[in-house]
Amino acid sequence: MDLINAFRAPFMQRALVEMLLLSILAGVVGVHVLLRRLAFVTDALTHTVFPGLAIAFALKASLIGGALVSAVFSAVLLTLIVSGRNVDHDAALVAITASFFAVGVIIVSRSHSFTADLNALLFGRILTVNRTAIIETVAIGLVVLLALTLFSKELLFRAFDPDGAAAQGYRVVLLDLLLNVTVALVVVAALQAVGTLLVITLIITPAALARLISSRIPTMMAIACFASALSGWFGLAFSYRASVRHNWRVAAGPAITVTLTLAFVVVAATRWLVGRR
Amino acid sequence: MSGPEELALDVRRAGVAFGSTRVLDDVNVTLSRGGSVALIGPNGAGKSTLIRSVLGLVPLASGEIHVLGRSAEDARIDVAYVPQIDALDPEFPISVLGVVLMGRYRRIGWIRRPDRNERKIAMDALATVGLIERAKDRFGLLSGGQRQRVLIARAIAQQAKLLLLDEPFNGVDSTTQTMLLDVLDDLRANGAAVVMSTHDLAVAHLACDDCVLLNRRQVAFGPVARVLTDDLLRETYGPPAVQLRHGQDTVSVAVPVSAD
Repeated sequence: MDLINAFRAPFMQRALVEMLLLSILAGVVGVHVLLRRLAFVTDALTHTVFPGLAIAFALKASLIGGALVSAVFSAVLLTLIVSGRNVDHDAALVAITASFFAVGVIIVSRSHSFTADLNALLFGRILTVNRTAIIETVAIGLVVLLALTLFSKELLFRAFDPDGAAAQGYRVVLLDLLLNVTVALVVVAALQAVGTLLVITLIITPAALARLISSRIPTMMAIACFASALSGWFGLAFSYRASVRHNWRVAAGPAITVTLTLAFVVVAATRWLVGRR
Repeated sequence: MSGPEELALDVRRAGVAFGSTRVLDDVNVTLSRGGSVALIGPNGAGKSTLIRSVLGLVPLASGEIHVLGRSAEDARIDVAYVPQIDALDPEFPISVLGVVLMGRYRRIGWIRRPDRNERKIAMDALATVGLIERAKDRFGLLSGGQRQRVLIARAIAQQAKLLLLDEPFNGVDSTTQTMLLDVLDDLRANGAAVVMSTHDLAVAHLACDDCVLLNRRQVAFGPVARVLTDDLLRETYGPPAVQLRHGQDTVSVAVPVSAD
């Protein structure tokens, strides 16, 4: 496969740089999500960001601006729902996920190029990533990594023993909000590359794969980043070769997510086989 | 009688309600520094709720609680909470030392990382509970009793003046129990007060000066020998409760038996 040659074109180089940046972001955030067992909330976040994106799209405003506003609003809303005592969390999350997503589709469906636009928002267009998008990813990434580094010990305590953390005076709901906002920011950063539907794979799968290999959190983060970056590289190269050499038209975003899932399956199967010996 | 400044815990006519349901009513407890009190009652009696209200995590519907002469919220840095071991995920990827260091987090402050001094305090706490050689092991790989010892070590590392233990001896073998009771004795000798919820009346006799009998209200509070009577236990657990005795003075266990 053209693992090197595929990246001679500038648009492929930009796509690879974007994927490597997202791999670092998603790898670190994904481990936090896994520790907090927040996969379902993260999935909900990927959907609730969609209406803001759609409104910005309809108003021809900045997509990332719309997504950011929507992301922070969604993170606050989901934090309040999950921390509420009198609400069935799962039912509320499902209702909000579906309704927010429907609102987004309604807004996008009013455009003339409905199918193409919806497709781009849902599945991303990593091959069209430009320099501005890369700078935006770097900026969001710095904010996310700084927040997670500064508050890592508090987030760890909350994930391991929420009652113990609360007993020591930590405001658990604020720590939850902090993590949910960082997750929402990663969703925003990854939107153009892999879209709202596939970003969940980028966050969850590498962390789950890393958990199969290591029980040390820094090692898990390193493995998750590496697995994600490697899958991004392979996925992009495969998409390029299939589309250019064989005219199969394989979309890059889905190719990356499928590669990630295959990597997870291989590691899980290997671990199972080793465990049987 | 201790003055308010000498009290580790002062609970006056405290009541807790969840919505319109009253779950705890008219609780009055005083605990001196260096003292210990057992919270005893059936499941759902309000033992954990009382502990949470002492931590300031549950708002009071009535009455007041003072901890170390302060409000519950203000005293948190000096209060260690030891949860039931079943409440913690054994698969969580954290080392034994990592768990003990959590006891230092509030004193370290936000953003800062544990330094060499903090690690030494944590290691000393692990040595106190006899687990220094397991510091690097994953917490979940330890037995139930060892995990309980790690949580006590976390409380020791916190250098707390009041320890709140929620069913600390559940699933713990007798050797570990004896060791933990010795550790708690040492902490009390150094001025720390201990509150523990337990179903085991023998533990209350061995480790506590006073005892609170709870069943959504305070049935009795006072010295263990005066409170753990058949009549008061029946009032707490219901008529079928019995207390089994060894010899004249030693109570081994009390069991609320089924009405069937």
